[in-house]
Amino acid sequence: MNRSKERLHSILSQILFVVLVGACWETVAKLKVFGTKSDLIFPPLEAIGRAFVTNIFNLGAGTSFWVYIYNSMRLLLIGLVIGIGLSFVFTGLSMISRTFYYIYNLVVSIFDLLPGVALLPVVIIIFGIKPAVIVFLIAHSVIWPMSRNILDGFLAVPVIYVEAGKNIGLKGVRLLTGVYIPATASYVISGLKVSWARAWRGLISAEMIFGIAASPGIGFYINQMRTNLKNAEMYATLIVIVLIGVIVQYGIFAPIEKYTVKRWGMSK
Amino acid sequence: MSERETVLKISHLNKRYQDEGNPSGNILEDFNLEVKRNEFLCILGPSGCGKTTLLRCIAGFEEFEGEVSIEGKAKTEPDTDRIMVFQDFNQLFPWKTVEKNIQYPLKQQGVQDKQTLQRITAEYLEKVNLPGIEKKYPHQLSGGMKQRVAIAKALALKPKIILMDEPFAALDAMTRNRLQAELISISADEDCTFIFITHNIQEAIVLGSRVILMSKNGKIKIEEQNTIARPVTPASEGYARMWTRLHDALEE
Ligand SMILES: Nc1ncnc2c1ncn2[C@@H]1O[C@H](COP(=O)(O)OP(=O)(O)OP(=O)(O)O)[C@@H](O)[C@H]1O
Ligand SMILES: [Mg+2]
Repeated sequence: MNRSKERLHSILSQILFVVLVGACWETVAKLKVFGTKSDLIFPPLEAIGRAFVTNIFNLGAGTSFWVYIYNSMRLLLIGLVIGIGLSFVFTGLSMISRTFYYIYNLVVSIFDLLPGVALLPVVIIIFGIKPAVIVFLIAHSVIWPMSRNILDGFLAVPVIYVEAGKNIGLKGVRLLTGVYIPATASYVISGLKVSWARAWRGLISAEMIFGIAASPGIGFYINQMRTNLKNAEMYATLIVIVLIGVIVQYGIFAPIEKYTVKRWGMSK
Repeated sequence: MSERETVLKISHLNKRYQDEGNPSGNILEDFNLEVKRNEFLCILGPSGCGKTTLLRCIAGFEEFEGEVSIEGKAKTEPDTDRIMVFQDFNQLFPWKTVEKNIQYPLKQQGVQDKQTLQRITAEYLEKVNLPGIEKKYPHQLSGGMKQRVAIAKALALKPKIILMDEPFAALDAMTRNRLQAELISISADEDCTFIFITHNIQEAIVLGSRVILMSKNGKIKIEEQNTIARPVTPASEGYARMWTRLHDALEE
């Protein structure tokens, strides 16, 4: 009873807030408060809505909006897979070799502090202006926070699970996959969340800094709309970016948690 | 009775812990013990006398000097011939269901047939009076149920020895009594040797076919066969005398 009341309270206040902000926006837009620049800063909501619908249903001329999204998501996915894969390999090796652990710990601490975009000049020299640059940046933004989380997780694995594992004959890689990795699930998932957030931001930033003709993405699209003074389209794209974030959160992370750590009673 | 073969032989066991180059004194000093097949050995002793340390050396979780041998073979690493049931309720893997917790070690041993695995699981859950909880996750069980599953998991592996470190200490008296009764009937059925640590004199007398009482540095102060007729209750002939003997020795 109390909980549903609280839910209603939270939903109503949030809706009220969104409606109020929308009303303010529209008022400012209609009154052209910012003079000649007003249409660029506060394009009317109908214009943004129209741009959103045009993009989504692919009604406009030229390259479909979905192509930009597809390009971005494809590179993002490749980068994520590489980054996550490498972090498991390296953290796994850290568990097997003490020397490797000490060195990798240092490497993670250093590179975790280095924003991927700062590496851009060097990376472009290495790869040229190619999709590989984006993949590299994404992998870079994923591997360090992911590794940090997995390492922390490995250290926090209760001794009793490790001993129970050894007792039933697990050793080496089988102890790693049979005990350490599942016992670290909640750390892996929070690492995934941080990694995804960084990768997503890194992707958009990189695409806005330089467009890759072979594979133009969402960031590139935003930049193009800005250059062409199509700010309603730009805002519509920002909405899409937020929506993708929401979809990933509720469509991917929430189910992963539900079927793993929540089901196992292990969520922190 | 005394003709039975020796399962476990511990000779000249010395154990000290190395904490940051600051070695402790000998926790166990020249410790010797023989355990016969199908014995139920209960170990009593004051807190800190080295009971857990001894069990961990037997299990292969600790380094030590001296020799621990199972059926004549020296052992230094953990293995499935000695399975530990810990005091901690959270010894089952939380990411596996009860059934998977029991089956996983069996699979590691090469049992792959699904029906065999299911039959073994059902059989041992039945033995610990928990039929039908195969699909539950450990966090859905009470502490007593978790300990029973841990016992079922250990039994299913058919180890030579089950090592139990105060597995019932954190349970309420009623649950504890029920688990003791279950363990008595299980140990009568199974071809398995038990080493059971407890603080509780009653528990040692009720469960043990032999009771030893340790004091400082792992010295064995009392060692006696439990000749009280089973099932043992506080009213049994000889119970009071044995209890007093153990109690007085513990108090000293
Ligand atoms: N990892 C360790 N490092 C250093 N000293 C330890 C370690 N574990 C135990 N000890 C010491 O060894 C001694 C024996 O400990 P142990 O846990 O074996 O006692 P116990 O008989 O099981 O006691 P209790 O009945 O309280 O469980 C204690 O003095 C303890 O401080
Ligand atoms: Mg102890």
